[in-house]
Amino acid sequence: MPLPQYPLPVWHLDPLPPVEAKLRQMKRRRVFIVLLVLAALGLLIYWRYVAEVPRDFSKIDDHFKYGSIGSEYGNGLPFRIWQVLPEMFPEYLPKNGLTGYESLGFVVEKDKDGRPLFETPIGFSRRRIAAQIELISVNCASCHASTYRGVPTEPRQVMLASPAHRVDLLAYFGFLIRCAEDPRFTADNLMARIEAKGGLDPIERIAYRSIAIPRTREQLLLMSGKSKRLFENPSGVGRIDTFTPYKLIQFSYRDPELLRPGNTDLPSIWNQAPRVGMQLHWDGNNTSIHERNISAGIGAGASPTSIDLPRLKRIEDWLLTLPPPKWPSGWKFDQALADRGKPLYLRYCAECHGTPEGGFKGGKVGTVVPLALIKTDPERLMSYTYDFMSNQYSLGTDQDWRFHTFRKTDGYANQPLDGIWARGPYLHNGSVPTLRDLLEPSDLRPKMFYKGNDVVEQTRVGFVSDKDRQGDEIFQKYETSKIGNKNVGHEGPAYGTDLKAPEKDALVEYLKTF
Amino acid sequence: MVDAGSRTAWDTIGQPIHFPRSGLTVKNRIFRSSISGTFDAYDGTGDYARLNWEEKFARGGTGAIISSYVPVSLRGRIYPRYAMIHNDSTIGFWRAVGERVHNYDCKFIMQLSHSGRQQDDRGAENRFRVGMSSTSRMDSFHGLLCEAMTKSQIDEVVEQFGLAARRAQKAGLDGVETHSSHGYLINQFLSSGINDRTDEYGGSLENRARFLREIIASIRAHTEGHFHLQCKISAIDANNAIYPFEKKGNVLADSVQVCKWLEEDGVDAIHVSTGSIFPHPRGPAGDFPIDLVSEVYDPIISSGVRGWSNAKIFRSPIFSRLLRWWWRHRRGPIIEGINAEHAAEIKKNVSIPVILNGGMQRASLIARVIDDGMADAVSIARPLIANNNLPQLFAEGHDLAPRPCSFCNRCLLADLKYPLGCYDLSRFDDDYDRMIAEVMTVFHPSPYETQAD
Repeated sequence: MPLPQYPLPVWHLDPLPPVEAKLRQMKRRRVFIVLLVLAALGLLIYWRYVAEVPRDFSKIDDHFKYGSIGSEYGNGLPFRIWQVLPEMFPEYLPKNGLTGYESLGFVVEKDKDGRPLFETPIGFSRRRIAAQIELISVNCASCHASTYRGVPTEPRQVMLASPAHRVDLLAYFGFLIRCAEDPRFTADNLMARIEAKGGLDPIERIAYRSIAIPRTREQLLLMSGKSKRLFENPSGVGRIDTFTPYKLIQFSYRDPELLRPGNTDLPSIWNQAPRVGMQLHWDGNNTSIHERNISAGIGAGASPTSIDLPRLKRIEDWLLTLPPPKWPSGWKFDQALADRGKPLYLRYCAECHGTPEGGFKGGKVGTVVPLALIKTDPERLMSYTYDFMSNQYSLGTDQDWRFHTFRKTDGYANQPLDGIWARGPYLHNGSVPTLRDLLEPSDLRPKMFYKGNDVVEQTRVGFVSDKDRQGDEIFQKYETSKIGNKNVGHEGPAYGTDLKAPEKDALVEYLKTF
Repeated sequence: MVDAGSRTAWDTIGQPIHFPRSGLTVKNRIFRSSISGTFDAYDGTGDYARLNWEEKFARGGTGAIISSYVPVSLRGRIYPRYAMIHNDSTIGFWRAVGERVHNYDCKFIMQLSHSGRQQDDRGAENRFRVGMSSTSRMDSFHGLLCEAMTKSQIDEVVEQFGLAARRAQKAGLDGVETHSSHGYLINQFLSSGINDRTDEYGGSLENRARFLREIIASIRAHTEGHFHLQCKISAIDANNAIYPFEKKGNVLADSVQVCKWLEEDGVDAIHVSTGSIFPHPRGPAGDFPIDLVSEVYDPIISSGVRGWSNAKIFRSPIFSRLLRWWWRHRRGPIIEGINAEHAAEIKKNVSIPVILNGGMQRASLIARVIDDGMADAVSIARPLIANNNLPQLFAEGHDLAPRPCSFCNRCLLADLKYPLGCYDLSRFDDDYDRMIAEVMTVFHPSPYETQAD
């Protein structure tokens, strides 16, 4: 017999009794707290061991001196390794009376008692990448900050965005490579030094011993293999071979013809606003400040993907209006003599180098003078080739900033002369020690002089270059006979080298006001 | 002092006690302290087992019985199956209880009670309600939820106490006692460790005592003549006994002042106990039987938000032992006469009789506290559960019952799930069936029992 079907009575769930409701609320709160704790823990782990954290500075000049531009990935070394290398391998540093990284010409900011104020010299930035490991690398200030003083007994005055006329950047990389090549560069030896300084947490310790030290050695040895040719024609203090490292390391060039060295003096980078649209670099191969800066960042070690554009832009904006240092009051200066020099400047120099009144713009300022006319050392011009330029365009093709405005030129660009007194030695290859020497025909210019002294020669204008030492400090010899070091060109009646000596003196006096 | 040569302890204990204001006289100095037992119908309708239960003590020679915990309203219950006095229909039952114990010249004092937030099992009727209290903060031990009473709710409860006292008087009982200790509602108002009100019922001691004093006034207003009224007071709250981070609560000086006010208000006696929660390491002073608690705690698990975590602690071999150690540590070394010093201090400050509660089961000790003027009488619960005839044993010259109470507190915890009685197996020579048979005697005789031909 089929059973009759009845609709089920309708019923509903009770509301929650207060205790049950409270328990649910507490459970939700517990779950929330657990999630919050997990999130905090995750964030902490991420922050301490995963996140990439550059050291940032609120003050722009500190950012310029110690802030990151993203170069750590390319040239970066784990900071704690970098820190102990000068103690472990002092024999690979220049014997010039200075110690540590200061002996390579980097500026160490010190207190009145001579103790370093910071863990690194100016020009080094740090960025934490993983497992608490901070990488350290050079930034803009490594090549564009230096010191000056009126007499040897004065404290060194730091000038930012100036040419780093005391830095031997190639020797720095050479030092790192030689350390890595030394059989004592082992995890045990380095860890003993690193741990003696303290402050390592267990994860950091494992990361340093197992990953950072072996990898650093491997990376430096790889760079050693690729960069041997660089050391055949060292650039010396205050100079750099702009493109050869690019060619060797980024593009792995091997053809000696394509590897023509191009050592050049490090330029100042202050007061960039007037330079907008000018032909930049010594050979005027680019008219975009932004591209020029990115290229320099990559040259400092950033990769096309690691370059930190926002932080680079912060520097770029600051440099637009950063004024050059003034000729210090109290230094030797004859206003009447300078007044006599001004018309000479206007007649002989202003067309190509601009005037303070004109903002160093106009005329032929920032345009290229063909090598056939300027006749200065050709090596830098020759080192920038069509072939290399083509390769440059292959960089960052997936980036918004990819290069568009590099061009091969046939000469050297006229430079605005703002702050020229602090930019010695002169000419694109730093081959003439003083402005006064530059007003002499090349035959009369010094064939050999010394670089690295930050005492300003207040008559001839430039850094003191006739002394091989000062106190304990020993300076580097510069010889114009070597390839790329010629002090020729920028001479003849049009360049004022035929002026009478008093006229030249007046002209130099006037240049002190720039 | 008792002179062993000429006087026995019973010469002191067996002396009647007279309460001059109410005129009540109790034949000896032994009061059965309030103990409940789930002997009644679920809804609080009294049942025959309660009569059997109370008769046990009356028969055993107890001078006066302070009833079970008797809620004055449904919201004031702590457990189902506890007889209530929340309406007039309950009068008949309580009259029957009174008559049963009066047959033995034993007095019966009803303990008028309201749980406040301390509702171990609020029952089906209160399923969607939280406890009423002086505070909205949950109780610290079980996590029992509550809400701070409004003025109208306070007035309503004050009225309920008065009406309940009137019913007790109508039932022919000998007096009432306000349960103003052990963390129940009145104690929740009195205690500075619990009461966080900012109105006229909170803050100062005077404000915190206002609720109790209004209840006394209400009782006086609703009863005829000078009906015997005593108040059970926790001399000290020790509100932080289990959780040291809780506030300490009332100290002895607070309670002495409250007792002075109570005397002024016409209260006939003070019943001195301890603690602002129940159970408390100091009340009832004894052990914490971790073997039994994990078995009988079930009904409370869902009552409070800390029930589950407590159950886990009770079942944890490590944490339960730690809790037992802590419980005993917070109690201290004394069990018998644990509140004697407090009672003595109160007695010094009032002229009405003081009844001392707390682990008394040695005739000589009871006689001594009375002779030394520390208290006028004692109230006993657990030793009387163990030996219903303890007063008779004292009268026969026993200082201690042959099988005394071990203060194991198993009776206290067993009440959560099983009929109230002595569950200390050692007292029954480890004969479980004999022990259970003794416990079950409360259900006999039954009105429905068929008598053998």
